[in-house]
Amino acid sequence: MKKYLIRRLLEVIPILLFISILIFVILNAMPGDALLQMRMENPRAFANDPAALEKLRVHYGLDQPVYVRYGVWLGKMLQGDLGYSSTYRVPVLNLLQSRIPNTLLLTITAWLIGLIVALPIGIYSAIKKYSAFDFLATGFAFVGISLPHFWFALMAIIVFSVQLGWLPISGMSSYGVTGTWEIFIDRFRHLILPACILGFVQVAYWVRYIRTSLIEVMNMDYIRTAYSKGITRKKVIFKHALKNALIPIITILALDIPYFFGGAVIVETVFSWPGMGRLMYQAVLGSDHNLAINCLIFLALITLLSNLMADFLYAFVDPRIRYN
Amino acid sequence: MPGKKQIKTDDPVHISTYWKLVWRQFSQHKLALIGGVIFVFLILFTIIGPYFVPHKYEDMNFMAIFAPPLTEQHPMGTNELGQDTLVRVMYGGRISLMVGFVAAGLSVSIGTTIGLLSGYFGGNVDRILMRLVDVMLSIPMFPVLLTLTLVFGSGLRNVILVLTLFGWMGVSRLVRGTVLSLRETEYVMAARALGAKNSGIIMRHIFPNVLPIIIVSATLNISFAILAESSLSYLGLGIQPPTPSWGNMLQNSLNYMLGTAHGVSPWWLTFFPGFLIFLTVLNINFLGDGLRDALDPKVMKK
Repeated sequence: MKKYLIRRLLEVIPILLFISILIFVILNAMPGDALLQMRMENPRAFANDPAALEKLRVHYGLDQPVYVRYGVWLGKMLQGDLGYSSTYRVPVLNLLQSRIPNTLLLTITAWLIGLIVALPIGIYSAIKKYSAFDFLATGFAFVGISLPHFWFALMAIIVFSVQLGWLPISGMSSYGVTGTWEIFIDRFRHLILPACILGFVQVAYWVRYIRTSLIEVMNMDYIRTAYSKGITRKKVIFKHALKNALIPIITILALDIPYFFGGAVIVETVFSWPGMGRLMYQAVLGSDHNLAINCLIFLALITLLSNLMADFLYAFVDPRIRYN
Repeated sequence: MPGKKQIKTDDPVHISTYWKLVWRQFSQHKLALIGGVIFVFLILFTIIGPYFVPHKYEDMNFMAIFAPPLTEQHPMGTNELGQDTLVRVMYGGRISLMVGFVAAGLSVSIGTTIGLLSGYFGGNVDRILMRLVDVMLSIPMFPVLLTLTLVFGSGLRNVILVLTLFGWMGVSRLVRGTVLSLRETEYVMAARALGAKNSGIIMRHIFPNVLPIIIVSATLNISFAILAESSLSYLGLGIQPPTPSWGNMLQNSLNYMLGTAHGVSPWWLTFFPGFLIFLTVLNINFLGDGLRDALDPKVMKK
């Protein structure tokens, strides 16, 4: 199994390289670059001096073909130099360092909310299948799957922030809040809506998975055996059935992590949450190539690592699985 | 499955074909039936609807800006230009549904082709194609989708193109899996022994058996495409105004969500387009769920 894990880890490298090439080429095909932006911001400086523009082009290496630029970029990146953001005018590394924690706060909270809501609903509707509760949960799951993230977010803002005025409309913190406890409460109030919305959509999928998985296990022979030994229903469900039903669910919990980061792009944009998703969106819109590439690579890395984690967890949790 | 009854296949008088059985199974699935009816109604709503409304989607009326719903002539209210929301929602629906149908059709065709080739020929063809699927699946979809629309330029054609590019992987995996087992069946071996060509075997013997999977995938892909188009349009990268789509109507509503100069929040501009997206996707999902059960021959044989 150790061999398998190492092989899977090594496989990430060529895939990541391939994705970085793809992203690099795509972004370079995009109209506009750092120079265009400079010219737009300061038209007079370049109007009289076309040579200056050419000089800058050489300085930034924009006169080189794409593959040379990719090589230079890759070399620098491997040494930990992520370059500068042309819109924020600070090192990309600093930007990422300040934004990644915010996104993690949002996504991890959403993930936990999703889990805490989905687990009991899924289990209960599997135990009481075809009951009124089960039908309600199924309906709820269908609604969740079909809701557009951003519309749900907008309606929630209209209801809870605009009409009722209970929660802040956007952002991550209010201005001029002091005191540890007050800051914590303020953060929390800002976090509730985006995290719930990000979590809710996934709840819908997870409820379905948990229900199906548990029902499947409940039909197994060993569950009947457990019953026939005279064990209470509670013990059968929690000690025998749930343990086995959770194996595929753990994989799905890990596999779905990228969806949270993808959804975060929309949710962060709607709520002006200063995270990676919004940063990426702004970088792409503002043709800030360097920043956009790094954001996209980060998201790709998250995706690959979650897939990897799902595989590892699966191998770890289920002793029946053998890898050679 | 709720309400599933056993189907008599040994009835001497009644000869059941596969599709008759499918229909019988499907019609017992109440939710799927309702979903299908509402979906058809929504299609008619967007296609025929505009002929019953005395406005055009570009008609402006500055005497009636931000009219709330249920005002005279404007059952769904008007926007900042006094344009009728109802008729705009209908036109927007045409665009959104078209994007859904075309993108789903294209991506399912590509996915099916790749799945058939990969599953039938196996070996290196399979290895290369499935590796491609793996890599495509590990690309963070939404951010790249966003980047691509920006590179290609937004607009109807490019949105469809990009959604197609990222919609085929799931289908190809499903189709491949089924073909792998079909390839080993006796009737395929018999066909091969009789000297049938590969193309003939794939088209006559294998394709009809993966058709159920394809149909279900297609319905789910439609809902994926509609949701993705609305997200892209919402971020300003999808269908561009003045052509209305459900997504860009929502994006427009954002400007007034927190209240207009008159101090009212025109919630109807946000509510109706989004609700129609939701209604469409919900009913497609119901339909897909019913079709999945109805088309599964394993369920029928029981």
